[in-house]
Amino acid sequence: MTGRGVLLELTDIRKTFRTGPAEIQVLCGANLQVGRGEFVALTGSSGSGKSTLLHIAGMLETCDSGSVLFGGEKVSEFSRSRRHNLRNRSFGFVFQLYHLLPELNVLENVLLPAMVAAPWYDALLRARPRKKEALELLEELGLAGRLSHRPAELSGGERQRVAIARALINKPAVLLADEPTGNLDPRTGQVIMDLLARLHTQLNQSILLVTHDAVVANRADRIVRLADGRVEPVSTAESK
Amino acid sequence: MYKLFLCFRYLTRKGIVAFPILAVWLCVMMLIIVNSIMTGFVNRVRDAGRGLMGDVVIESSDMAGFGHYRKLQSAINALPQVAASTPVITVYGLLNLPEWGDNRPVQIVGIDSVSKADVTDFRQSLFWQYKAPHQAVADLGGGGFPVSGRQLVARAKVLYNKALAVENRRQKRLLAMPPIPPHAWFYGMREHWRQIAHEDFEQSVYRLDRADRDLQFARGLPPPAVYKSAAALVAALVPRDPSFKPPPAAAYRYDNPKAEPKNGIIVGVDMGFYTRDRFGHYHRPQVVRFSPAILTVVPVTLKGTLTTPQSGRFMIVDDSHTKVFTVDRRTVYAPFKVVQKMAFMQRQDLLDGGVRPARCSQIQIRVHDDGNPAAVLAARQAIETVVDKFERNHPQMIMANVKVKTWDQMQAEFIHAVDKERDLITFLLGLMSLVVVVVIFLIFFMIVRDKTRDIGIIKAIGGSEFGVGSIFVLYGLLISAAGALPGLIGGVLFVRYDNQIHDDFLWRYFGISIWNRKIYVFSRIPDQVDSHAVAIIVLLAIVAGLVGALIPAMIAARQDPVEALRYE
Repeated sequence: MTGRGVLLELTDIRKTFRTGPAEIQVLCGANLQVGRGEFVALTGSSGSGKSTLLHIAGMLETCDSGSVLFGGEKVSEFSRSRRHNLRNRSFGFVFQLYHLLPELNVLENVLLPAMVAAPWYDALLRARPRKKEALELLEELGLAGRLSHRPAELSGGERQRVAIARALINKPAVLLADEPTGNLDPRTGQVIMDLLARLHTQLNQSILLVTHDAVVANRADRIVRLADGRVEPVSTAESK
Repeated sequence: MYKLFLCFRYLTRKGIVAFPILAVWLCVMMLIIVNSIMTGFVNRVRDAGRGLMGDVVIESSDMAGFGHYRKLQSAINALPQVAASTPVITVYGLLNLPEWGDNRPVQIVGIDSVSKADVTDFRQSLFWQYKAPHQAVADLGGGGFPVSGRQLVARAKVLYNKALAVENRRQKRLLAMPPIPPHAWFYGMREHWRQIAHEDFEQSVYRLDRADRDLQFARGLPPPAVYKSAAALVAALVPRDPSFKPPPAAAYRYDNPKAEPKNGIIVGVDMGFYTRDRFGHYHRPQVVRFSPAILTVVPVTLKGTLTTPQSGRFMIVDDSHTKVFTVDRRTVYAPFKVVQKMAFMQRQDLLDGGVRPARCSQIQIRVHDDGNPAAVLAARQAIETVVDKFERNHPQMIMANVKVKTWDQMQAEFIHAVDKERDLITFLLGLMSLVVVVVIFLIFFMIVRDKTRDIGIIKAIGGSEFGVGSIFVLYGLLISAAGALPGLIGGVLFVRYDNQIHDDFLWRYFGISIWNRKIYVFSRIPDQVDSHAVAIIVLLAIVAGLVGALIPAMIAARQDPVEALRYE
């Protein structure tokens, strides 16, 4: 980390999966810090636990031991509703398989986190401003002409851009991206990474990106590698 | 808000939801139809029974009846709640039609025509004297129930307008056998269609014939101002009625002591003298009316033993359609005094110098405010007090097992049986409707499995367990409401047009006849939408949708988001 304040801090994270009698220890004392506005790439071989660590960081999954601090506060001590709120407002997820809701069109998919965030009366009162924000975001991502299309009618790159727009609609402090280019051809992957890098610069958001692609990882400020259940530093922006 | 939004999206964009909606729709519709028809049936039976016996009845369960009924009647008539009362005698006997060689056991009811008309709807149940007014005019000359000139004119005006409408239609449309429609392509349907066309033709002829007669009668009416009394009306109208063929002199006068045979009798419409068509109309051959009949009464002594049967000559002057089949099938009405005498229930001077008072079987009473059940019950209470007091003051009166009952209590056994039957059928169909819960459960289970990844996504963007569960509960609610609403509308509309659907669609196009009017007492399918029951049915349907969605919603709420996102 490079002198910025720590936003997300994972300390001594341990996680074991049990499949019948077999136990697989995926994380054994992993430590990771993500600073405010920092772009961190988490690499590692397949099955090394990258996605698990990302999910623990985003509170989608719990760890067996260790602690997750967000803004200096221990999230395990948060109430359930505060965790939901935090996940909704402070984290944005981008998945390898996009995970868009097939029944909703592009605009609706992007607006969904905003709707989750807003109480019903707020959703009614602030529907127009949120819609305007979503339209601006989609325009910026080059999807202005695809608003009423459903995910099945979009290409892979377009779907991933919609997923990014959805992740950004609530202006989260951290963007958690799980191999966002893994399902795309190199050229489209490059476009998506350019987009992430641009947004990172513009919005000064922290990004924790999981990838096993060295080219993608190289776009980050800092690269860390997960091996044998522990996080090891690989490089920093200064060393690159 | 997002929960409702997602519910609507799932509802409008997932075709599979059509099945639970359809299941709820059909169940709600079926329950409303069954409940309404059963309610209509119960109420029609109830109304018919009430029209038959008045509001309150004093009756003796002993066939010997009870005495001093006139004094009792006077005491009851003095009550402020009582509007009118009439004595009735019920005995058993035989009806013999010598010209037909027909002999059958009957219940003979002795009635006083004037007071009976004040208490019950009996007059309205008579065909010739009430439903065919031009004949009633004729009958006024020969006796019968009183029909005022004003009533007759009002009725004639209605018939006149109706007849004019039919006349106009007839002139516009040529009466012909309708062509066989293209859909009746197979042999059975062609035959069925021919039968329908034939029946339609007969029906038109029948209606036109009746309208013609009514029209002729109505056209012959002088201005109403002419009439000062029913007698004046008769005098004015009888010569002008071309269809009127006067009965031979006063021979057929009802209750005319000089006539031979002396008295008229009224027979129940379902005694088998008439045929009934598919539309529920009775076809009355002219030979029945004015047929001579021999009525034999089997009297019962005060000790309850039979004594010498008494026979007398009568003439059938009318038929009564009370709409209570058991009554219309076996009841013959004769003048009260005549029956009383034949049953040995008249005043008798005894050998020891004493007097045995005249008796009757029932006193039927009409009360003021008869539409109010509480008022009827209060009147019954007052009448019972009078009867008790009367019994104490007249210890010598023959009064065995006299009871005072309201019309509702009189027919309680039958009505309550039908009521229970309605509840039972609705309950059984309601149980069958549990299928709806199972259908919704299974489809929701499938939807939750299908939407596993969506659940993961919703949780990843901050949706709570409660929020995800609520989506599916709301979804169940919307589906059941989306099914219940058209079910409600469809059910009510079906009930509204059930007779047309039965006659003009099921019978006409498929030859299916569920409500056979040749068999049932009511010529139309009885129906009455009970708003209370309908509200309960709709509410239960919505609850059923919620119950069906509840377990899948709980499964969805507990779904682990990471596993859900990995779900393939």
